[in-house]
Amino acid sequence: MRLSPQQFWRVRENEYRIFVTVCGSCGRSAVFKRSACPYCGSSDVRYVESSGTGVLESFTKVYYRRDSSEDDLPKFVGVVRLSEGVRVVGEIVGVRGDELREGMEVEAVLRRYASDDPYGVIYYGIKFKPV
Amino acid sequence: MDAGIRGWGAYIPRFRLSASEIAALWGYDGRLPKALGMAEKSVAEEDEDAVTMGWYAARVAMRRAGASGDDIDAVFFGTESKPYAVKPSATIVADALGVKRRKLATDLEFACRAAGEGMRISVGLVKSGLARNTLVIGSDTAQANPGDLLDFTASSGAVAFVVGPADGSAAAIEASVSYVTDTPDFWRRDRSPYPEHAEIFTGEPAYFHHIVSAARLLMEETGLKVEDFDYAIFHQPNGRFPLQVARMLGIPQEKVVPGLVTPYIGNTYNASALLGLAKLLEEAPPKSRILLVTFGSGAGSDAFSIVVQDSAPELAKRGPRVADMINSRVQVSYSEYSKFRGLLLRNIGG
Repeated sequence: MRLSPQQFWRVRENEYRIFVTVCGSCGRSAVFKRSACPYCGSSDVRYVESSGTGVLESFTKVYYRRDSSEDDLPKFVGVVRLSEGVRVVGEIVGVRGDELREGMEVEAVLRRYASDDPYGVIYYGIKFKPV
Repeated sequence: MDAGIRGWGAYIPRFRLSASEIAALWGYDGRLPKALGMAEKSVAEEDEDAVTMGWYAARVAMRRAGASGDDIDAVFFGTESKPYAVKPSATIVADALGVKRRKLATDLEFACRAAGEGMRISVGLVKSGLARNTLVIGSDTAQANPGDLLDFTASSGAVAFVVGPADGSAAAIEASVSYVTDTPDFWRRDRSPYPEHAEIFTGEPAYFHHIVSAARLLMEETGLKVEDFDYAIFHQPNGRFPLQVARMLGIPQEKVVPGLVTPYIGNTYNASALLGLAKLLEEAPPKSRILLVTFGSGAGSDAFSIVVQDSAPELAKRGPRVADMINSRVQVSYSEYSKFRGLLLRNIGG
């Protein structure tokens, strides 16, 4: 699947860094910058940047993906509970499968996640590695 | 205003390929790794490149410096393994770190010495008042023709420094000089996937001549003598050359060994000598004076006299240490290395 440089450029802040949306109305938080609270719909929100540290809550091994980044299959995808209390799904890198444990401390890292083709734009984004 | 290092960070992939496996695979004498002073080299994963590794090191450097994106006025990215032939890496890293838009940002290329140039340029910018703080990154996923001698050493890693006012810094940069000539010892032509080198020519008229000349020039200009330096760090293309060049300068081995990283992780090119500096900032006692001499083929060297300040031990605690990264290792086979580094030719998406 070919991605779009223009589309990526517009959302790159949410790809390069982890922000948490904190709702001023209901007080709940959600990952990514959002214009409205996903829980109560309020637009009274503020943003804080995550420290990027968290705990791996669960993970699975993935053998397939839709885009052209098949070089690094199989890979691990996990649910990480960030230090700010919100959960985010991300790839887990820098580790062998038999080293992965639920409860493992992880930190955010910038990695490549796709490229249009050998001569296309490289898309970078956040993944997680064990601390 | 004098310049100093206000923060530093490093990144070393934890996957390692042993030099003995390379020797066995390509039919080299089993004694060659020892002769090169090489045990293992670090191997970046498929989704890593100079940008991703440089980002990690820079993030830690900014954390140690207590610097936000608004505090950085210039970003210099030294590499010879740019992900793009045309498109700056410095801008990707700067945006991903939240560095403000009003800044100078550029990639530097001078083989393994570009980040050293970035350090010297930063000293000039800070001393002149044109920049408050700069971010200097050295990062490489070094390429080697499989089976070539370079295959034993070409590895992956990154280092970064926040350079700013010396007052309150972790290390003061008290002097620096450069020594550059046109010497064709190592090169990579456009469209060539791997560099070529001029065998033994890379040693005498290139590495040794430029490092010795830059070091002597620094001592002439400052009046410092060999015995004034507590540690010496030289560019580390293998584990042997830094010890040889130290002997040529009359520097005892025990002042060089603490800053040696290549025997354990390979030659990380633009991060090579500067990773040694990062390691010493975490280990050398305050007031230690360090002689740092970079080298880049083509060829040139930058020599620095750096004095560790009282805050360095405290700042060292704010991020992962180089020694810990060296010791955190998982061995990979040559086939895994080939997959990680994209050396296998595959049809994708068929």
